Amino acid sequence: MASSRDDFIIAIRSAFLKKSTQQKFSLLTLVFFSIFIIVLSNLDLKAVRYLKIGINELVYRSSFVVSIPENFIKNTYKDIKDYTTYFREYRNIKEELSEFKSKDISSEITQYENKELKELINDYVSSSNKILAKIIVDHDSPFLKSIIINKGSKDNIKIGTNIYDQSYLVGRVIEVNYKTSRVLLLSDLNSNVPVTIAPENIQAIITGSGDDYADIKYIKQGISDQFSEESIVYSSGTGAIFKSGIPIGKIKIVENDQIKKFYVDFYSDFSQLKYVFAEIITKTELEKADQQITDNQQEPIDAKLKLLEDELAIIEQSNMKFKDENEKLKSQVNYLNNKIISFQNETEIQKETIKQFNIDTEELEFLRLNLIYSQKCQSRKLFNTGFKVGTPEYKKCIMNKGKIND
Amino acid sequence: MTSLKTRGLFYKAYSYLPVIFLFVSVLNEFDFNYLNLDFFSFNFPFILIFFFTLKDFKNIDYLLVFLAGLINDTVIGLPLGISSLSYMLICIATSYFRNITIRPNPVKDWFYFLLIISLINSLNYSILTLFFSFNLILMNYLVNTFFTFLFYIIFVSIFKYYLKGLDD
Repeated sequence: MASSRDDFIIAIRSAFLKKSTQQKFSLLTLVFFSIFIIVLSNLDLKAVRYLKIGINELVYRSSFVVSIPENFIKNTYKDIKDYTTYFREYRNIKEELSEFKSKDISSEITQYENKELKELINDYVSSSNKILAKIIVDHDSPFLKSIIINKGSKDNIKIGTNIYDQSYLVGRVIEVNYKTSRVLLLSDLNSNVPVTIAPENIQAIITGSGDDYADIKYIKQGISDQFSEESIVYSSGTGAIFKSGIPIGKIKIVENDQIKKFYVDFYSDFSQLKYVFAEIITKTELEKADQQITDNQQEPIDAKLKLLEDELAIIEQSNMKFKDENEKLKSQVNYLNNKIISFQNETEIQKETIKQFNIDTEELEFLRLNLIYSQKCQSRKLFNTGFKVGTPEYKKCIMNKGKIND
Repeated sequence: MTSLKTRGLFYKAYSYLPVIFLFVSVLNEFDFNYLNLDFFSFNFPFILIFFFTLKDFKNIDYLLVFLAGLINDTVIGLPLGISSLSYMLICIATSYFRNITIRPNPVKDWFYFLLIISLINSLNYSILTLFFSFNLILMNYLVNTFFTFLFYIIFVSIFKYYLKGLDD
């Protein structure tokens, strides 16, 4: 018994402490060193922070280089797949583009109005600038959903910077290095975004599911029944982590055994991201920037006026078109009314003809029967049984085929 | 026929292949995730480290394994040191197993590997959720452990070919 315990202790001691000639450190030293690093990396010391940034920069770049062959294979496969659907997509996109162009003007006006109102509410003027960033590392880990972009503190990226795919929200920056940053995607389990669900105007928080959709949390029970598949989800701006009004996705309803479940289906496909936009927001204090605001105020007003003029011109053009169309429709209506009247007249004539035809038919029948039954129905001098010719009684008698008392 | 050993540089590169693969896999997070299979993932560094440290492969330096762990944490976005600790624990386990084993058996190794990675993944999960408040899906860890266990035997046969090539 004591011997087996001794063996165990010897084996353990040997495993921890023994190092062969080629090993520079014993395992025990490295285990302690790992624990030391775990503790140290969580202390927000300046030196550690800079060291971490240095390691991150180096590792991200190396990871990007090492991933080139794998990414090449993945992208080639994706490209081939895309080519097969290019033409159909092109036509759809063209149609969508023409729709969006018409909506764009009113959207810009709303944006300017929104900006003005925000300036009135807040004590600062915020101006944003979106910069394009390339994704250098995107490994789609099953544990953590994050990407590395090639913009960092050098490009004014800060922790919390909102990241977009076109105009859709995809996540926020959680780690900033000098030339790179880590973005936590909305699909990550640790991501929480305050949102508004329209048109129901319901406030909620969406949490990543670790998959390509998000769960809706913190809403009153039963309120979810109001959701439809047309409901859209956009950031509410509560908590000032995310900007308000950024589209995120649509409500997806999944029905299992009469139990409805509601998810948020993201507009953006996070597995297909190649480039993203990082929104750099600069805030200028209102008091310090009074002069600047006066100058800047002129600018949005001018722009707004120009947009309004453009919109007016478009409305006038549309009005003219509508007037022309109206005139055409009026003449068409008149023409159709005339046609209806002529058809009515024609119908009347035809009705008369039918009526006359019916009379003639009856007359003809009377004449035919008259030839046969006139003897029976006529009044005679000797036996006063018949009727006088030409009287309605006589006609009735003829039509009754000579029956007098019917 | 010229043996590998006489070829100098080529032999050296060949003998360092496991280390190169270890670093490539941690930098690239080589796990076939893009196949979009639900929950599918496996931990290649675990297999590689377990096999080569169990065989006491001379070019696998513990310090390099430790550095690979740091790189893995940086790439994935985990707190620095977590993967290093996991890799070091694998090294300790294999070292202990080597000490107590007189006659190696591949099936025993395989199930010992399952035990070790289950313990390490549990430890990882516990540290990340309890101390770092990470939200993680336990199912991902379980499936990852299962597939790593399954893939072990496949990679072992490949690694054996590699070792045979090295001996020749």
